[in-house]
Amino acid sequence: MTQEQQVEALVDYIMKHCLWQFHSRNWDREKQNAGVLGKTRQLLCGEAVDLSTPADRCYWADAVVLADTWRKRFKWLAEMPTDAIATLMHALHQRLDYLTITGSLNAELTDQRY
Amino acid sequence: MPYHEFECSKCIPERKQHAVLKGEGEDITSALPQGYLNTIPGTISERGCAYCGAKHVIGTPMKDVIHISHGPVGCTYDTWQTKRYISDNDNFQLKYTFATDMKEKHIVFGAEKVLKKNIIEAFDAHPAIKRMTIYQTCASALIGDDIAAIAQEVMDERPDVDIFVCNSPGFAGPSQSGGHHKINIAWINQKVGTVEPTITSDYVINYVGEYNIQGDQEVMADYFKRMGIQVLSTFTGNGSYDDLRAMHKAHLNVLECARSAEYICNELRVRYGIPRLDIDGFGFGPLSDSLRKIGLFFGIEDRAQAIIDEEVARWKPELEWYKARLHGKKVCLWPGGSKLWHWAHVIHEEMGVEVVSVYTKFGHQGDMEKGIARCEAGALAIDDPNELESLEAMYTLKPDVIFTGKRPGEVAKKIRVPYLNAHAYHNGPYKGFEGWVRFARDIYNAIYSPIHQLSMLDISEHAIPADRGFATARMISDTALSEDIRQDPNLREYTGGFDSVTKLRQREYPDFSQDKPQRQEAV
Repeated sequence: MTQEQQVEALVDYIMKHCLWQFHSRNWDREKQNAGVLGKTRQLLCGEAVDLSTPADRCYWADAVVLADTWRKRFKWLAEMPTDAIATLMHALHQRLDYLTITGSLNAELTDQRY
Repeated sequence: MPYHEFECSKCIPERKQHAVLKGEGEDITSALPQGYLNTIPGTISERGCAYCGAKHVIGTPMKDVIHISHGPVGCTYDTWQTKRYISDNDNFQLKYTFATDMKEKHIVFGAEKVLKKNIIEAFDAHPAIKRMTIYQTCASALIGDDIAAIAQEVMDERPDVDIFVCNSPGFAGPSQSGGHHKINIAWINQKVGTVEPTITSDYVINYVGEYNIQGDQEVMADYFKRMGIQVLSTFTGNGSYDDLRAMHKAHLNVLECARSAEYICNELRVRYGIPRLDIDGFGFGPLSDSLRKIGLFFGIEDRAQAIIDEEVARWKPELEWYKARLHGKKVCLWPGGSKLWHWAHVIHEEMGVEVVSVYTKFGHQGDMEKGIARCEAGALAIDDPNELESLEAMYTLKPDVIFTGKRPGEVAKKIRVPYLNAHAYHNGPYKGFEGWVRFARDIYNAIYSPIHQLSMLDISEHAIPADRGFATARMISDTALSEDIRQDPNLREYTGGFDSVTKLRQREYPDFSQDKPQRQEAV
């Protein structure tokens, strides 16, 4: 499986099962993608996760469910070394930012107010 | 862009940008229709207005409030009892509706006096109710009646009453969605922070974007209470006016319908630092994940897991019974807004049905992004469709059933396509584990009902066959099933009662006050 195929498998899962990536403004989507994917990477790599704020806990709750499900669903991910997971998650983050922010056709994302 | 042009709309070229066909390998950066734009003249849109979105969707589910429309009686009549947002307050908000009954003379001479008279009459007629919401309409907005000033006058005269003014006339947006936005912002600006609540738990949420259709809110609140969570307010199904004034004291906003209520969640996050957790209350998998996330946030994941295990064990065999019989059936998923994405993937995954089309009447492009992302390839996505386009789509796609509102639903029946009410439900609630089985049962009954089978016969073209006897739904649905599935002792039809909600109102909940879980601070 190439990294591109792995990224697409993870993206497909996020798109069909998650809602956190679809907030209504660009700046929100940037924060959401960074928050949830950042904590998911930390969990998958066995790193400590900062839970000091309510926002951190909220991202973490989404990340725990995502990481647990991915480990069960994608055996290749469970067997991957941590440096490869970090590289994969970086590529995934870029792809998700493209799909939901920079490549999005949603004209509302740049509205200045909610 | 894989735009889809309807034959019936070729005379309106702008409509072409409002429908796309999701092809193999296409994603939301290559297939997304226009959305939430002013309706194109001549398309005969089926959208509602911004007044309807504010009052009928969000305002009126509040259960202890006199909801009064300042405008012609028709505005109120058209939004009365058209959605089954029940409550545990003897359905006060469904039983009574109020309008100032503006006429031509009020347009000429003003209607502020008649508004004040109506407010006082309504409070006097219902002395136990001390809260009111006044909804502006096109008529009262265009003549410039100062509703807020009249409301303040009454509050000054009667210190025990509180009045919320919603200035969302029908013309205030492209569709009802404009009204959702306006009432969200008006509520947080006028009312949030004006009541200090009694906090009874270490875990406090606002349940937002939930309207208690046939008891959905009560089902979900039951899960939350079983976890020891205090539902401070529900915005707005079965919700109490004063509870909703205290939304600023929650620890977490749990958001269900982001289309209608993400605005207030976003504002609560900015103004009070309360995080927003988007959830799905529909479907075993999404609901399990949602409860687990809420449990994780508070450090009580074990309580969530106990509920999930119990409910799945009880209801999964019944869902599987229906899945075996619904597999491969084609569905047009044509709701108003959020169910487009709440249901798009999970009905395919958990019931085996094929979603051949999604549409939204008032959704934004963000809703279509979610819906198209969750659909399989080949689905036709339509924004703001009209009746002719819907008919053309049904003739082309030949769905076995459609999930939509009652107006397009009745149109579908005329061309022999069964429909389920996606807004007010047929035999809901549809949220929760049991609710999801009720939904599956309703889909099964819609597709396999012998009555529907008979109605699909066009007697203008064909004679009624006289060589066939009456067949039950089970006889029709089980014809193509293997013997193993037909006789599987682990599967069964729905065994819940007619009413799955009322029993929840008498339920006693565990006392977790001595049980302080250790919050996880790092992993």
